[in-house]
Amino acid sequence: MFGTTEMQINMGPQHPSTHGVLRLELKLDGERIVDTRPVIGYLHRGCEKLGEDRTYAQAIVYTDRMDYCAAFAENLVYAEAVERLLGVEVPPRAQYMRVVLAELQRIASHLIWLGTHAMDIGALTVFVYGMREREFILDLFESYCGARLTYNAVRVGGMPEEFPEGWVEEARRFCDVLPSRLDEYHQLLTANRIWLARTRGVGTIDGKTALDWGMTGPCLRGSGVAYDVRKAIPYEAYADLDFDVPIGEAGDTYDRYLCRMEEIRQSRRIVLQALDKLPGGEIRGKVPRRIKPPKGEVYHVNEGPRGELGVYLVSDGSEHAYRCRFRSPNFVNLQALPDMVRGHLVADVVAVIGTLDIVLGCVDR
Amino acid sequence: MSKIVRPEDSVLRRFLLLELFAGLWVTLKHQFRPHVTQEYPRERPELRPRFRGVPRLRDHPGAEGPLCVACNQCALACPDHCITVVAEDRKGGKGKQPKSFHIDYERCCHCGLCVDACPTKPITAIYMSHDYEMAQYARDDFMTDLRGLYEGHVPREYKR
Ligand code: SF4
Ligand code: SF4
Repeated sequence: MFGTTEMQINMGPQHPSTHGVLRLELKLDGERIVDTRPVIGYLHRGCEKLGEDRTYAQAIVYTDRMDYCAAFAENLVYAEAVERLLGVEVPPRAQYMRVVLAELQRIASHLIWLGTHAMDIGALTVFVYGMREREFILDLFESYCGARLTYNAVRVGGMPEEFPEGWVEEARRFCDVLPSRLDEYHQLLTANRIWLARTRGVGTIDGKTALDWGMTGPCLRGSGVAYDVRKAIPYEAYADLDFDVPIGEAGDTYDRYLCRMEEIRQSRRIVLQALDKLPGGEIRGKVPRRIKPPKGEVYHVNEGPRGELGVYLVSDGSEHAYRCRFRSPNFVNLQALPDMVRGHLVADVVAVIGTLDIVLGCVDR
Repeated sequence: MSKIVRPEDSVLRRFLLLELFAGLWVTLKHQFRPHVTQEYPRERPELRPRFRGVPRLRDHPGAEGPLCVACNQCALACPDHCITVVAEDRKGGKGKQPKSFHIDYERCCHCGLCVDACPTKPITAIYMSHDYEMAQYARDDFMTDLRGLYEGHVPREYKR
């Protein structure tokens, strides 16, 4: 007599907790989710096509706009790909500078994730605190390259500028205060019973399914698969640095949360080590003013804050790439969303979107 | 590789709501810490020396006439094609100088590539200024000519 009928509901694209313009077509049975279909493309700006129309140096500017929460990682992977095409060596000092900035960027990006994820679930305070710490990093970036969000802080073959005076000390000061702040976040969330109720057992995905979906980054490591590009295919100076890759067990939202929190600590370790080891010398390798790589193709990956960032470039020997393609970890991770939320409540969709840590600029490119 | 540690959970902790009080203690402590927010229009942010605002032009006392030699390198380097330079013969000297120089601030993305490309010595003729309050009423107002590039836009302040 009281049978239910399935209902289809649109969530987004203007939903505040979809982290941008993501539309989800939810098929619901009451409050339970039967099926989900992510509809993307609202933020498509054609970064890949622009990468074929602009010169190699100019295209770095567009990589800024893809993952705007971690612009440095995108700059880096593109520049590295062009360097491989050209076959140039990056001087050691520039490599260490890149590591320092990339890890600071990872911390900043994870702080945004923490803040927005917690805010979606209902803990507003962490968002405000996280933004405060992120401000330190934005100041560091502003002082290094002049921009706070879209850095354009890598050049093909090296780095554009030296660290300004006092920068290293400022970065060290930040690393000194970070652990106490992380402890505060842990006090606010980790044992909090509301947080536990909203995250434990929600959005569970096991390691094999995650691999089948092609997930990477903390989302994969939360499921217990120890894969990190920094360890698997060390690039830049990562091979000389000592750090742990935290992995989870259950593959639920809570484990991914703990993984990322530990990653912040490890990134801080890397920053401190790299600052200690910072060698002297040149910061730009020998790259001609007009970058014209020889004919060929390259696929290069590195570990962004959200997973494996990839760039595929085909060069026809001219100043522009013949083909430019980005592998966005957000796009791939998002595909697992239907599997992760099936059977959960609508409110849990918000938690799972948060834990996937998607940036729509990078999903749609 | 290291496994993450899940925190211990005990019935007693749950019953006494210890973790909630730990969280409240953190927020309480923050009440007595100094403020870190800025009340923007009243308080101005302190910009770092390398801050990249909109690009502008400048001269140098060591160079006669305008420092810019109208070589068009900045326009070629710009990913958004927002610089237009028209050259004329330099007045009282060899070489060129800009007859007109336009930057479309509406399209500029503050990337700084134009400054990298500028060949003038001892400083670059085009530089990233510290101007960041660029709101205008009309799209045409973003088109900035030589005079605007030297003097900068004057931000209008609104007071109630
Ligand atoms: S800052 Fe970038 S976008 Fe703006 S004028 Fe210079 S090159 Fe063009
Ligand atoms: S600003 Fe510099 S790069 Fe641009 S035309 Fe003048 S001299 Fe050349």
